Amino acid sequence: MSYAYLFKYIIIGDTGVGKSCLLLQFTDKRFQPVHDLTIGVEFGARMITIDGKQIKLQIWDTAGQEAFRSITRSYYRGAAGALLVYDITRRETFNHLTTWLEDARQHSNSNMVIMLIGNKSDLDSRREVKKEEGEAFAREHGLVFMETSARTAANVEEAFINTAKEIYEKIQEGVFDINNEANGIKIGQQHSPTNPSLPGAGNQAGSASSGCC
Amino acid sequence: MFRSRSWFGGNWNRPKNRLSLEHLKYLYSILEKNTTVSESNRGLLVESLRCIAEILIWGDQHDSSVFDFFLEKNMLSYFLHIMRQKSGGSSFVCVQLLQTLNILFENIRNETSLYYLLSNNHVNSIIVHKFDFSDEDVMGYYILFLKTLSLKLNTHTIHFFYNEHTNDFPLYTEAIKFFNHPESMVRIAVRTISLNVYKVQNASMLRFIRDKTAAPYFSNLVWFIGKHILELDTCVRTDIDHQSNQRLSNLVAEHLDHLHYLNDILLLEIDDLNAVLTEHLLHKLFVPLYIFSLTPAPPPTSLAVVTQNLAAVLNRPVDIDIQEINNPRVSSIVALYLLSLVFLVITHAPLVHALAWVILNGDHSVFKEGAAEILNAYVEHRLTVVPGFGEPRESLEQALETVGANSTSHSYDTDNIHNTLEAPVATSNAREVAGANAAESTSNTVTTEEQCAENDVCGISVETASAAAQAVLNNAKLANITDEEKEKIQKLVQPARAFNELNRPFLEMVLSALDCTENDYLALLSLCLIYAMAYNRGVKNDWFEQVLSQSAKGPYSYKTELIERLLHLITLSNQPSCRIRLITIEIALQLLVTFTKPCTDDACITEAQRDALFSARNQSMVVLRNFYKSEDIFLDLFEDEFNEMRKTNLNVEFLCMDSTILLPPTGTPLTGINFTRRLPCGEVEKARRAIRDFFLLRKTCQQFLNEKETLLPLTNTMNLVQVDNVLDLNNSDLIACTVITKESTKQRRFLVIDSLQLILVEPDAKLLGWGVAKFVGFLQDVEVVGDKDDSRCLHITVHRGGATHNRTPLLSAKFLFDDHIRCMAAKQRLTKGRSKARQKKMYQIAQLIEMPGQVIDSPVYAVAGLRAGSVASSSSRSSRDHRPILSTTNRVPGFAAALKRDTSAGGVCRIQMAQNRSIEGIRNESAGRPRRRNSNSSSHSSTSQNRDANSSPGREHSPRSSRDNSQSRSATRSRDNSPRMPRPRSEEIPLEDFQHSRNNSPHSRANSSHLNTPTRAHTPSRALNYEPIAITVHNSTPHDTHSPAPHHATQLNGVPIAKEVLVPVASSEETSFIGNEEAATSEQRRRGIIETV
Repeated sequence: MSYAYLFKYIIIGDTGVGKSCLLLQFTDKRFQPVHDLTIGVEFGARMITIDGKQIKLQIWDTAGQEAFRSITRSYYRGAAGALLVYDITRRETFNHLTTWLEDARQHSNSNMVIMLIGNKSDLDSRREVKKEEGEAFAREHGLVFMETSARTAANVEEAFINTAKEIYEKIQEGVFDINNEANGIKIGQQHSPTNPSLPGAGNQAGSASSGCC
Repeated sequence: MFRSRSWFGGNWNRPKNRLSLEHLKYLYSILEKNTTVSESNRGLLVESLRCIAEILIWGDQHDSSVFDFFLEKNMLSYFLHIMRQKSGGSSFVCVQLLQTLNILFENIRNETSLYYLLSNNHVNSIIVHKFDFSDEDVMGYYILFLKTLSLKLNTHTIHFFYNEHTNDFPLYTEAIKFFNHPESMVRIAVRTISLNVYKVQNASMLRFIRDKTAAPYFSNLVWFIGKHILELDTCVRTDIDHQSNQRLSNLVAEHLDHLHYLNDILLLEIDDLNAVLTEHLLHKLFVPLYIFSLTPAPPPTSLAVVTQNLAAVLNRPVDIDIQEINNPRVSSIVALYLLSLVFLVITHAPLVHALAWVILNGDHSVFKEGAAEILNAYVEHRLTVVPGFGEPRESLEQALETVGANSTSHSYDTDNIHNTLEAPVATSNAREVAGANAAESTSNTVTTEEQCAENDVCGISVETASAAAQAVLNNAKLANITDEEKEKIQKLVQPARAFNELNRPFLEMVLSALDCTENDYLALLSLCLIYAMAYNRGVKNDWFEQVLSQSAKGPYSYKTELIERLLHLITLSNQPSCRIRLITIEIALQLLVTFTKPCTDDACITEAQRDALFSARNQSMVVLRNFYKSEDIFLDLFEDEFNEMRKTNLNVEFLCMDSTILLPPTGTPLTGINFTRRLPCGEVEKARRAIRDFFLLRKTCQQFLNEKETLLPLTNTMNLVQVDNVLDLNNSDLIACTVITKESTKQRRFLVIDSLQLILVEPDAKLLGWGVAKFVGFLQDVEVVGDKDDSRCLHITVHRGGATHNRTPLLSAKFLFDDHIRCMAAKQRLTKGRSKARQKKMYQIAQLIEMPGQVIDSPVYAVAGLRAGSVASSSSRSSRDHRPILSTTNRVPGFAAALKRDTSAGGVCRIQMAQNRSIEGIRNESAGRPRRRNSNSSSHSSTSQNRDANSSPGREHSPRSSRDNSQSRSATRSRDNSPRMPRPRSEEIPLEDFQHSRNNSPHSRANSSHLNTPTRAHTPSRALNYEPIAITVHNSTPHDTHSPAPHHATQLNGVPIAKEVLVPVASSEETSFIGNEEAATSEQRRRGIIETV
């Protein structure tokens, strides 16, 4: 399937905040959220449409790569968008945001769009970080904020798509140099029509199976 | 538990429990029935594979029988079977397969399940399968699959992946094939995988890595990096105008990634691997490309001779050789930069030590004589640093043998470098061969190293240095000629050798690059390199300095030369026409301190050098004096620069991440280059630069004098009132008002004006006459505008001082006063307070930079001098106060821009204009000039005298002189502004507080505390006049520390305006114990006197 642009995303945040679950939830809707099952994956791609244009989002999780400095520093560059995730039921994951953000700001290109995500919003009873706190942090650091739940899929779509919209706007404004692939944006070629992307297939195949449980 | 039913009816008649063993069994039957992928069953298979992943993870977490079934039926083999079919959109199926595998390996928690999954060789078969890697998604899932597996590696699982008997390690070997993949995320994954592999402590596996893969992989990696550098160099050469900055910065960032990756490998401290890697880096990259590029091409005294002789002997045209010599070369800028990066990033001792050695001690004799010379020198040196080092000569011979035996490999290698420029792809074969040969040679190296120096990292250094020398040889193309010819050439150049013996071309080059007569383009990078070498942890303690101080060049050591050159650079930086960037000065000063070690036992700086440094500082003061007051916003600039400087510590590593330092220095901010990393543009930036230069030099000089900074920052935060401080407001001047914010919230407050701060207080609930500070802001940042509809109203904005990113003002509100008169009083006090706060600070600056006529003439009682001086010397001062923006713009070029950008500058003008309007009437009363002159002439007395005079008997004296100051100011204002004749003015504010603000005269402090008590006992009439505010915490006895300095009270329309003097905090602390025991917990205690205006 051809696309107009490809945006590369990374997902950052402490371990266990549900990064790979968010990713899987977004890239492959056929995986129905089930309460006693945690499945995640660290790479995925999905096609979305913005402004009538096909845009492919390619998402890379950073899990397990924090041990080496060379890896973390390279990761941020080359991404057009970043989802900075914390767990609303674990205060420490919120406290570490500053460190993550510093790292991201230091190594990424200055145009990278960063979205702050408070994940696990379904676990409101165990909430340790107020929504207002997330909002305040986002305001202070100029981020877009959203609370999501990979379990219930609440706001997951929006988080990824809003980020994409912001990147798209920046392209329209000419802020991003789209000819420089190091910015995490690729202009699509008219190629690989034989490869329908996963979500497309998921919609066909999974539609009948969604009424379960 | 599970309810199974027929799943064959309809298209997708799923079971209720899709997470169940039953469902897995069903899915298995689908796999069994659809062994051949076709258009028709594709979707079914994909969905089955997806569901299998789900069930397996569920099983792993809930029901172990699920996994048993999966293994029992050997379902992975079905995966493999499907994968291997080319038909029916296999890429589509493969993506799902890989995703399933990823989900499986990522989410599995049960270790036994993992072992079972890995136990048959299916996973390795999947790894070696040739997927369609041109598909982005396949590539992504595949590399992620490898990465996930590599994260599972440990001493147990390694056996599933590495086969000792067959010497097979597909996970690693397949992964590193993608080390140069165009997709950066793939490259990153490859690096992660390789690091995860190296990390596993398995001797046999590591031996395999070293023997079979290290040489080819590292040589390829190094070659790839080298190629990248040539690209970077081209970019630097062609981009003189900062046009492709983005591309350059990407190339630099990419190169840094490589370096950090290499460093991460080296940090794993796998000795064998590190030896190979070190050898490769030095041998094939650092020495032949970086070091070689330091000296100009072709090196005049050695290579050119060699080349000429060679040409004569071989009867070949010279051009070709020179061409070939020139090929693998980068500009000296890039070479210096790259070497700096190496020393900033890599800390592996043998590597950085050897490299530092080559830079410091190496010379061109290497080209003529091979490694003998360099090694002898090196050995000599080794003996001094590590005594007892054994038989290096042998290792040299062995190294030479090694190299000799593999000369073919080296010629391949040089070919490679040449080929990179022409046909990179075609060289892959050659690289393979070169890699294989290199493997042999490195294994030799490793043996010799083991023999000669156990546990001695320097052993490797010797190896690498000799190898490095050999590389240089190769690079000079001597490797391509026969031994016979080589001898001939050596004979020919023999006479020249003695001449060159003392010469250290690389060190000389680094030092001579410090010359900034033209500009500091090279100098900055050279400084970075010296800094990086001096601070590298891997370079032996003090070794660097020892080498520098031991090695003599003529009568001086290199260290002396370095210090002299640094001082020369610093001196030069104060010349008006110099083109030296601030960052260069900063590093130079830092290095000066590093190498001279002031205030330690082994300080090594001569008197003359010290003098040079101090005269450089004095020169910087001279420069700064020219800017003093020439800019309206001088004070703001001054404070802002100070804060900037204090905020940012020198970080050369960060500096070197900035690719712009690779390009010729430029002045225009349009490039987006940070101010300190470019030349100043326009008058305002020149002032900024002068200020910063002064700060840097002042700081360094203080280090040499072992002094502490006492005069900066201008605002002593210790003296400031903080929000929530409880203040004793008895006898102080309070103006009641209602503060109406933008959100229309109304608050009843009392306005108090301190010498530096505007304070809004609310009455304290417990103590009568005390108040709690609810808001504080600096008077110097206040902007007051009257309300044209309501004469009781003021619009007051308190800006954030300095260039903060937060542009919203600290406070922006409408102040409603009880009546017109109080409103006017408030306005005047604010306006006056603002200008006085600023004048006070300007005076402090004048003191700092020793403005002539102010500090030197009358060091203590300098206020009058300052006033007089400013009026006399620069008439611009007074006119600035009153002229509208435009006229100012005309006067100072480049000023308009600054005004537009800087809101505080705008604030100045707005407030001044407002002031003009409002004070016009008041000013009619300004004092007559005769009187002013009179007092000016009589006012030259010391502060202490003045203070003494402040006690009641002498009261007459002090107010007069202070009033004179202000009067002189206002008089000139009026002259500028208004045709009216100045009238006697009683409302002008005396300026004694300047004396007190200086805070550095113990004498005056003592005075003030003496006089405290009397002040508190002011008679009502005096209270009306002087209105002091003592600020204290609850329960502490009101102190005394405010100086009584009774000033002449002034009356304006019946509103009393008095002033009081701010007393330094130090004195408050002296006396605070009087009050109570809580002195220790005086965190939020605020004491001192608030001066009311």
